[in-house]
Amino acid sequence: MSVSNATATSISHSEKRTLWRFLGLYAFLTLLILILGSTIYYNLQKDLMLQTKRLQLEEYSKELIDGLKLLHIYFDRYRTYPRNPLYRSAIYDADKVRIFSTLKHPEGVQLDKVIYITDHVIHYIHVLDSYYLGAKYVVVEIDDDRTWMMQTWRNILLYGGATLVLFLLSGVMLVRLFLAPMRHAIHLLDRFIKDTTHELNTPVNAILSNIEMIDHSRIDPKEAKKIRRIEIAARTVSHIYQDLTYLILHHQIASQDVKVDLSALLKERIEYFRILADSKKIGIETDTQPGVTLVVDPGKMARLVDNLLSNAIKYNRRGGEVFVRLRPGELLVQDTGIGMDEKQIGEVFKRYKRFDTSVGGFGIGLNIVAMIAQEYGFKIDIHSKIAKGSEVIVRWDV
Amino acid sequence: MGRLSVTILLILSALQGSNVNVYERNCVACHRHVSPSLEKLFFDYLLKYSSERRVKRALADYLKHPTKKRSVASEEVIQKYGLMPKTWLRDTDLHKAIDTYWETYKVFGKIK
Repeated sequence: MSVSNATATSISHSEKRTLWRFLGLYAFLTLLILILGSTIYYNLQKDLMLQTKRLQLEEYSKELIDGLKLLHIYFDRYRTYPRNPLYRSAIYDADKVRIFSTLKHPEGVQLDKVIYITDHVIHYIHVLDSYYLGAKYVVVEIDDDRTWMMQTWRNILLYGGATLVLFLLSGVMLVRLFLAPMRHAIHLLDRFIKDTTHELNTPVNAILSNIEMIDHSRIDPKEAKKIRRIEIAARTVSHIYQDLTYLILHHQIASQDVKVDLSALLKERIEYFRILADSKKIGIETDTQPGVTLVVDPGKMARLVDNLLSNAIKYNRRGGEVFVRLRPGELLVQDTGIGMDEKQIGEVFKRYKRFDTSVGGFGIGLNIVAMIAQEYGFKIDIHSKIAKGSEVIVRWDV
Repeated sequence: MGRLSVTILLILSALQGSNVNVYERNCVACHRHVSPSLEKLFFDYLLKYSSERRVKRALADYLKHPTKKRSVASEEVIQKYGLMPKTWLRDTDLHKAIDTYWETYKVFGKIK
């Protein structure tokens, strides 16, 4: 299980995703409408152009029919087809057989239409009442200079583009409008958590520092046991406080990386958690190589170690074992707890994911571990067996 | 004398099979002297019926059942020259004659 799979779901991230999804759908629908509108506009422009050309073509066809009439009458003397450099033409009989043609594109002439464009030429078809030379259909052909098409495309691109931009802008505004109440609620919740967290710090620290000041030798063992319980509870609250502070503030605080003696840090954190482990009769075995160092933010490294140890204790059985091993480039934390199946391992880094709600916490521990690992490029491997226990191995480049 | 008669008979029967002769003997022979001319009539048919198929069908129809209604000639022409008598040709000969008539005056391939 690699860290890259662990997505640190932040509010702004999901908001962006929603925004993009909505804009995608919105842009698609807008494009669909624009394409439909453009097609209608294009066809209208084409029809308009053909209507204008039709008048001219009708004149040409009348001229041609006059020529055909003369040719029909004087066919015994003249046999030259009436031609004009302004247009090309063809004549077809009632069975649509071509009698004569000067067309550039005689193939595929559509005699059942009146006017149409094909292969950059415009064809106009006139049906005769008197079939001079047997011609029922007269086809007049002129070149299509395509200026109308250029103009139409320019308009479509110009106005279509402007409309698309306008729609997209209004789409963005709409999304922001819809998201505003949600943002507001999240902002309020954020502030509430921040304030609450801040207010927790002072009393918890007061409790812990005062417990440390108590001289255990001067109080009777019964009282000492109660004070120990108070200390465990206070440390748990302190741990939650540290996690919440990290989650809320980690975006705003730049990492202050220094060379950290991991062996010493680990020893200190194990000692800190030993009291918690003792309360569950869990033994902590260690195999730490001294002098293992790493350039990292000590606060963040402490959060990583704390969360691994906290989980190993929290999800362990009563009287279980926790094994911690430290080598250059590798930290292993093993427990004899409830374990996880493959599906659970896949979801372990998700925020607010808790596999056992009977134990305390918010399900943010491993999410924090994943975020820190991602920041420093650590690789995390998790192996686990149900009812046997889990082991988490953090690896880094030496 | 008998030999000469046989020769003429042979020539006539040879000619009988030819399309041209059916047309020449039955159409041209008469219209050469009687108006309207075959060419004029052909262009009148073309003007009214347009295509080869339609012209030939109309011609056959008229020749078999000549009526004022079926004629392409004007009222005056009919009054002046009268309607043609009903053809006595067999259908095959009639079609042969009409085919020759079409081939003689058709405009296909003649326009420049």
